[in-house]
Formats: sequence, structure tokens, C-alpha cells
Amino acid sequence: MAPLILSSIVFVACLGFIFSEKLNRTIAALAGAALMIGLGKLLGFYSETEAIASIDWNTLGLLMGMMILVAMLEPTGFFQYMAVWASRLSKGSPFRLLVLLGSVTTVLSMFLDNVTTVVLIAPVTILISEVLGLSPAPFLIAEALLSNTGGVATLVGDPPNVLIGSAAGLSFNDFLTHSLPVVAVAWLAALLLLNLMFRKELRGARVNQEAVARLQPEEALNDRRSAVRILIVIGGAIVFFFLHSLLHLTPSFVALSAAAVALLVVRPPLDDVLRRVEWSVLVFFGALFVMVGGLEKAGALESIVSLFEKGATIPPALFGVLLIWAVAILSAVVDNVPITIALIPVIQGLGENGINPEPLWWALAFGAGFGGNGTIIGSSANIVVAVMSEKTRHPISSILWLRRGLPVMIVTCLIASLIFFLAYDLFTG
Amino acid sequence: MRISDCMKKNVFSIPATATVRDAVQLFVSHHIGLLPVLNPDNHPVGVVGLLDLLELALPAAIHMLEDVDFIGDFGALETYRPPEEVLAQPITRLMRPGTVVRADSGLVRAYALMLQHKLHDLPVVDAEGRLIGIASRVDIGTLILSGWL
Repeated sequence: MAPLILSSIVFVACLGFIFSEKLNRTIAALAGAALMIGLGKLLGFYSETEAIASIDWNTLGLLMGMMILVAMLEPTGFFQYMAVWASRLSKGSPFRLLVLLGSVTTVLSMFLDNVTTVVLIAPVTILISEVLGLSPAPFLIAEALLSNTGGVATLVGDPPNVLIGSAAGLSFNDFLTHSLPVVAVAWLAALLLLNLMFRKELRGARVNQEAVARLQPEEALNDRRSAVRILIVIGGAIVFFFLHSLLHLTPSFVALSAAAVALLVVRPPLDDVLRRVEWSVLVFFGALFVMVGGLEKAGALESIVSLFEKGATIPPALFGVLLIWAVAILSAVVDNVPITIALIPVIQGLGENGINPEPLWWALAFGAGFGGNGTIIGSSANIVVAVMSEKTRHPISSILWLRRGLPVMIVTCLIASLIFFLAYDLFTG
Repeated sequence: MRISDCMKKNVFSIPATATVRDAVQLFVSHHIGLLPVLNPDNHPVGVVGLLDLLELALPAAIHMLEDVDFIGDFGALETYRPPEEVLAQPITRLMRPGTVVRADSGLVRAYALMLQHKLHDLPVVDAEGRLIGIASRVDIGTLILSGWL
């Protein structure tokens, strides 16, 4: 009983520190992992070897490969180029600007890390909207919400998807056939809702047309040659993502190979590239795997599995819908990565006990992905744009986020629930 | 040679009780780059530069981007004017700690200080710490060079 209680306390305390932002999330997770192994050794429920084995290297490899590609693409100015190009294409219509900037951010973050995408596109958005005499707040909020929503569509679009795909053995194509259609409807609904909620800011604005015409996207592209080469490699990686299950390749092999090819072709200063890789995110994931491995060995997850089993007596489609909402609400207030990592072994446990886990994976992906939109702290992209907006004349407050993000979260979760419930058979295998 | 040999004795300053608008007025009417902010005893308590005020007109995003060449026209920002409440706030809100030198400071030392603190003008104080002059990079630099002739 002691291992179960103590390991649960370590995990919940770690989540508490992450939630309260009293401690950097990676430090909290690393300390929690060390404590979990220490307790495991002391009480005999968890060893170092088991801790290492609990790390999902496929997830870490996929994330690292994609991070290296983004780290190489970042200094070329490609992200800024896309933002300026989208702004110019808007021809000065604030609504078109919102749609185009939101679409560019979404498409990029479907394949590349959405925090990096937002970090690089948001400053351009702020500058362009101020030049056009518009408040940047609607555009920044739309970029974060739409990229969070769009990221749910692909295996590599969102860290929870990477985790779920790896644990459940779901391929890139599985996400395209199961998640993409739901996301497409949810994304469109989110866009319409954002337009409705920001109608005052968008319709009342008088845009400086001359300034739009004089935007020069090509000036933002610092290194065209490298950008083209890296994009070709990323395109190749996406083709291999389509084929990975057919060719029996893991997504991490595809991503790391693509990173190696890009490094070989472009030959950038390696130190610069590695400095841009988000090691703290990789360490955070690794530490969480170790912590959840400890929870599993201590038997803490079994109790949750049996709790879920009781819940699973209700119709499975309804159970999945409830899971979407429970995960979404949790993900709105706590980082969705630890929630996903903790729920993966629970769903695996349910699978071992005879319940079809397939629909539950999708419910988890929808809940974790759409839930992050609800609050300002719900996803890293939200935090990034909010922090950047503080330096502008129109800072985004937590209340403003709640008023704009929560309706988007509710509508997207409703759409996901409805499609999941009505087309439940499509998610069962 | 000392900094007192090249400083301008006719120095413009602003009291700590003044507003941002008062500072704008002084910069515009005297065409200067730096205003020492003084307490009632004439001691500098900080400085306000022309660039500190111009920051009000620049969007913060400028500092987040490596270059802004892609913006061919700064549009609405070209005609931006800070709102009344910003102009009415006390100048101490925009003031930053100032580096000053005493009148007997050597020229190279003064120049080194300016380089290190990225200053273009250096207020000069007497032994009691009261403002008595101001020297620019050009004032100091040309006096150093004159010693080489």
C-alpha cells in the first residue's frame, strides 16, 4: 500500500508544482523522477533499469528529429516569410488576415512544433497588425487556438499525438483518416467562432492599405537556399511518414534520418542548431516517462484502471465522450503532456482487461488537444502569445483568453464528441 | 586634460517633478539627446534620453525580430502619438539610472565609461555631486585627438 500512496503523492505533487508554476516544469519532473526511483529502490517496487525501460525512446527520437529540422529552418526566415506573405495576401481585410495568419500557423504546426511556429510568427503578427493600425490580440489568440486545434490532426502535430501514436502503434495515416476529418470540422467551427467573437475588433478597423501593399515577404527570407533544401527534406520526411507503417519504419527513425539528411545537405554550424533544440522539453518527457513508470510498478495505475473499468460498463461511445471531456478539462488547467503520459498505461491496462482501447486513444487525443485551448495556461502556444502580447499596447489577459478560448474549447470538444458518438464504429478499429 | 575642459556648461536638465510632456518640449526646443533629471538640490537622480521617449512610438515586436526589412511602410506607426495619460505621467517613470563623472575625470576614462554604458552624452558633476555640465562623445573624442597633433 505504501508504494501506491507514496508514488501517487510524488506524481500529484509534481503536477501541482507544474500547475502552480512555482517550479519550472522540467525541474519539477526531473526531481519527481529522481524521487520516484529513490522511493522505488527503498521500498523495492522500482529499479533504475525499469526506469530506463519505461522511457518511450520512439517519442523522444521523433520529437528530437523534428526539433532539429525546425532548429535548422528557424534562422532561414521561412516562418516570417510565410507570415508576411499571408499578410500581404489578405489585401488589408482584417478578417482575411485572421484567416490567413491562422491557416499558415495551423498548416506549419501540423507538421512542425507549434510552439516554435508561434514563437516565430507572433512577433511578425504583432508588428504587422500595429503597422496596419490593428490590435494584435485577436490575431495572436487565433494563431494559438487554431494551431492547437490543427495540431490534433497529425501524428507529429502535437506532443500528445506523438505519445499516443507511439504507445498505441497508430500510424501517420491512422491520424489522417481518424483525426484529420474531425479536426477539419472543429477547426472551421473555431475559425467562424473567432470571427464572431472578434467581430467588433475586425469589422470596425480601418486598415492602412498602402502599408499592406508595401509588405515584402522576400525580404524576410534570409537564406533562401537552405530554406528550400530543408523544406525538401521535410517534404520527404512527410512522404515517409505516410509510408512508415507499410515500410515497417518507426516515425522516430524517419524524423531522425530526415534530420541527418538535412544536416548533411545544409551543413549549418552544428552548435547553433543544437542550441535551438528544446532539450528541456525532451528531458521533461523523459522524466515524466520515468515517473509514470514508477506509478505503474507501484500499482497506482491499476486502481485507476479498475475505476475506469467500472465506468466502462456504460455504453462505450458514451464512455469515450466522457473521456474527451474529462481529459479536455484536465488539459485546460494542467499541462496535457503529463495527463497523456499518465493515461496511456491506463488505457493499455483497459485493453489488457478486454476493453477495446482503440476508440479511447482517439478520445484521449481529442481531449488533450482541444482542452488546451480553454485557458491561457492550457498550452505552451497560449503562454507564448500571451507573454509576447504583454509587451504590446494590447496585452492579452487571462480573462480575455477565457472569454475567447473557452468557447473554442467547448465548441471543438462538442464537435469531436458528436462525431465520435455518431460515427463510433469508425473509431473502433 | 580633464573633462571639464571640453564639457558644455550650458546644460539643459529637467526637475524630477516634471512630466513626460515637459521632457518632450525640452528635447524639441533645444534639439538635444539627453536630459539629466535633477532633485531640488541640483543632484542628478537619473537621465532620460531621446531614445527612451522614442521607444513609446516603437512597437515592442521590433526588439523580438532580427530585422524588419520586410515592412516597406510603417503605416499607422508613422503617425502614432502616445495617449494623453502617457504624456502626463511623471518623467521619473521613464527615467533610468544615469552614469555621471566628476569634473576632474580624465578624458579617456570618461570615454571608456561612455563606451561601456553605450552613452552618447555624459553629465558632469562637481565635488558635491551637483550638475555643472555635459560632454558628448564628439566633445571628448576630438579633445583627445587634438593632443595627437
